[in-house]
Amino acid sequence: MSQGRRKKSPPHLLARNKKMFRYLIRRLLTVIPVLLGVSILVFGFLRLIPGDPAQVMLGERATPENIARVREQLGLNKPVYEQYLIFIGNALRGDLGRSVLRQEPVMQEILRRFPATIELALSAILVAIVVGIPAGIISAVRRGSIFDAGSMLIALTGVSMPVFWLGLMLVFLFSVVLHLLPTGGRLGASANFSTLTNFLLLDSLLQANLDVFFQSLRHLILPALALGSIPMAIIARMTRSAMLEVLSQDYIRTAHAKGLRERTVVVRHALRNAWLPVVTVVGLQVGRLLSGAILTETVFSWPGIGRWLVDAIYARDYPIVQGVTLFIALIFVGVNLIVDLLYAWVDPRVKFD
Amino acid sequence: MRQVVLCLVLLSVLSFIVACAAPTPAAPAVQTQVVERTRVVEQTRVVEQTKVVEKVITATPAPKPGVDAFIFGAQGEPVCLDPAIITDGISSRVTRQIFEGLVKFDKDTFNVVPQLAEKWEVSADGKVWTFTLRKGAKFHDGTDFNADAVIKNFDYWQNNKNPLHAAQIKAGQTFEYFKNQFWGFDDASIFAKIEAVDPSTVRFTLKEPQGPFLNNLAMFMFVFWSPSALEKAGTNSCKQPVGTGAYKFVEWKANEQVTLEAYADYWDKPNVAKMKRVIIRNIPNNSARLLALSAGEIHAMEGLEPRDVDAVKGDKRLKLLLRPANTTGYVAFNYKVKEFQDPKVRQAFAIALNKQPIVDKLYGGTGVIAKEFQPPAMWGYNKDIQDHKFDTAVAKKLLADAGFPNGISEITFDGKKVPLDFWYMPVSRPYYPNPKDIGTAIAADWAKAGINVSLQTIDWATYLDKRKNGQLPLYMLGWTGDNGDPDNFVCYFFCLNAKDEPKPEEGFFADKEISDVLKKAAATIKVDDRAKLYQQAEKMIFDKTIRIFVANNQPPLAFLANVDGYIVNPTGSEYFNTVVVK
Repeated sequence: MSQGRRKKSPPHLLARNKKMFRYLIRRLLTVIPVLLGVSILVFGFLRLIPGDPAQVMLGERATPENIARVREQLGLNKPVYEQYLIFIGNALRGDLGRSVLRQEPVMQEILRRFPATIELALSAILVAIVVGIPAGIISAVRRGSIFDAGSMLIALTGVSMPVFWLGLMLVFLFSVVLHLLPTGGRLGASANFSTLTNFLLLDSLLQANLDVFFQSLRHLILPALALGSIPMAIIARMTRSAMLEVLSQDYIRTAHAKGLRERTVVVRHALRNAWLPVVTVVGLQVGRLLSGAILTETVFSWPGIGRWLVDAIYARDYPIVQGVTLFIALIFVGVNLIVDLLYAWVDPRVKFD
Repeated sequence: MRQVVLCLVLLSVLSFIVACAAPTPAAPAVQTQVVERTRVVEQTRVVEQTKVVEKVITATPAPKPGVDAFIFGAQGEPVCLDPAIITDGISSRVTRQIFEGLVKFDKDTFNVVPQLAEKWEVSADGKVWTFTLRKGAKFHDGTDFNADAVIKNFDYWQNNKNPLHAAQIKAGQTFEYFKNQFWGFDDASIFAKIEAVDPSTVRFTLKEPQGPFLNNLAMFMFVFWSPSALEKAGTNSCKQPVGTGAYKFVEWKANEQVTLEAYADYWDKPNVAKMKRVIIRNIPNNSARLLALSAGEIHAMEGLEPRDVDAVKGDKRLKLLLRPANTTGYVAFNYKVKEFQDPKVRQAFAIALNKQPIVDKLYGGTGVIAKEFQPPAMWGYNKDIQDHKFDTAVAKKLLADAGFPNGISEITFDGKKVPLDFWYMPVSRPYYPNPKDIGTAIAADWAKAGINVSLQTIDWATYLDKRKNGQLPLYMLGWTGDNGDPDNFVCYFFCLNAKDEPKPEEGFFADKEISDVLKKAAATIKVDDRAKLYQQAEKMIFDKTIRIFVANNQPPLAFLANVDGYIVNPTGSEYFNTVVVK
């Protein structure tokens, strides 16, 4: 659709591009205070909640003197502001410190674990879009039909079903009863495959290893379905209501009156105008997927970043929690920015102010 | 746009169909899983029906990888694979297969038997221990095990100036257990001298006799690294373990699994690993782990929920093993609470508690009633103690005698009147598999006798923190034994500190009489003499109702029915070399 516009008015588009560029810079600049704020909040809150890493490390075996010794070793007895300055100074240089429990460099671990989460989240959102949008469109067009009632019932169930429970039920059905798909993990226990980027689907294709590709695909299906269930339902409902609103507009009646084919009316006229709210919802869901991934990763033993974060919170592993939240905040800001830019692409009426 | 969406739809649908459909020739791993599954089913039939089938099946070799490995489903991720710096069971399950010590716990008992030491002698005063080492044992990197290796390992654990030790400390690691079991590092440690008499003899000279010395040496952390491999690994020792054990380390995929491989040159020929590989998978969720077992993806698992025990028992494809009890769950009084200083009040709490239904209903049938702190399998256990008889009326009377005719719902804690809070743990532990339910049941029993508590909990880290600082007036906690020695159970809690002061983490318990008996037992060498002292201490603890001991649990492990040779040990440290997946 943008091609059409480009042919018509290049000077107008140029001005628009310039505006967009300025907008982009402005938005990127706001990222700095956001991340600083997040880091201060997380850092502060972590130290406000009682319990410390030394305590968790030692468990029932914690005596005051043991704890004091471990705290000293971990540098936890320095003043909080000093700890923060050390943290932020190192973070600016790309060093997020080392895990308290396992002594691993946090940055390196984030980069190693994040692809697993991204792979899962992207698959989930793909499932959600591919199923949710067509379902929403058809429901709107065939409003009141059995398909409409059925898909909206499923959508309602999808929104209300706890991911955790749904995950376990999927495993029970597809793995234990039907023996179709594996119960969890990214690859079979005996798989021997060294990854490059840790995006297994990508890596296996690059190395032309179809066996591993299909294996990892099989491992992805259930977690992606579980994680995608809620966004799928929300997207379907949102598409339906956006479409319904557009379909009741005068210009649609006009289009019908002109004798256009139903398909043309729906796709060319209605859908194009219904995109905006749908894109917004999809964008919001991407953010939500990261938090949903925590549960999905636990049920499916998925070695991603969500589960790692939760374990770290319970263990009071400060460097991991700080590093991962900062990282997730960065992703959130990035996704939001992309969504805002997408608006303009989808709907030329949107202005960059 | 439309084309893109259409392509995506097609691609996804296609992928789904391909992946879900029957195994393609391009995917041998898919076939493996199918084959494995039918084998499981056939095996069950074999056991039930004829032997002819069995021959046919054993004659058919396992077609693909996956059958040559024993796959264990663990509850979490190992912290580190250097046994000297770990304290947790998930890590030690892995290191147990890789490393060995001078002595070990025999089969399913606390009995200490030789491992890399052939035999040992102890001097009459209990201070000089001489170990004769096994000849012919080799580390996985090919170097010999000898006296030099033993000495270098001890130096790594205890010498602050040892460069490897110092580097670990600097990197934030701790040698927690060495300090706990052998008093401390360098001059503070119990060792006066550790020397090599000849290449196969090591002599330890202790500053004081230590009753649990052998049991301490049998613990999972006092096992030997190949000195050259340790030096090479340095502060990366967590990721490159090299010992003498039946399995050697292959790979640790973070958050996924650890893979080990049978060690061909293992010194103990009759006990060479039965399976080619061991894979320990990290499956954090208890239900998901059981589903993985039911689907045949793993062969064994820990962390079975009490509510799932019956389901496993009833499933012919699965079997259950109970680890002998080495855990005790208790209710502790804080002695800063004025009311709890009266033994009558404490006794009333104990008598008002009906343990039988708790053990029957809330432990999945794997628990037993605890009368005293040590579990029955330990030699310091006092058989003669008769437990309190549950009787609400007697409890009420005791409370009335103590000045609470209308029951008790408020306490004086640190001089302040506060409601009587009863704290239960937020997490499941071996001794309390479902603390919330157990806590609720205890509170309900007490309520009948006029003891009205309000149940409290908070996240685990904070819970432990409050307990450590002595801020919980009445709380649930427990213990899992480390080394099968009563000292590690009773003295750990009821010995006052070196200056005979009460410890806040033990609710300011302050009975010097009990502490003295326990300290005496710890410094005695002869087991019979020590046993008498521990039995005496248990009787004193019981008579004074220092704490209420609720239950010992026998943590359940679930297996596929075709797994044989797994030997459960009360310490939880189990060797996989005897395990066979048929």
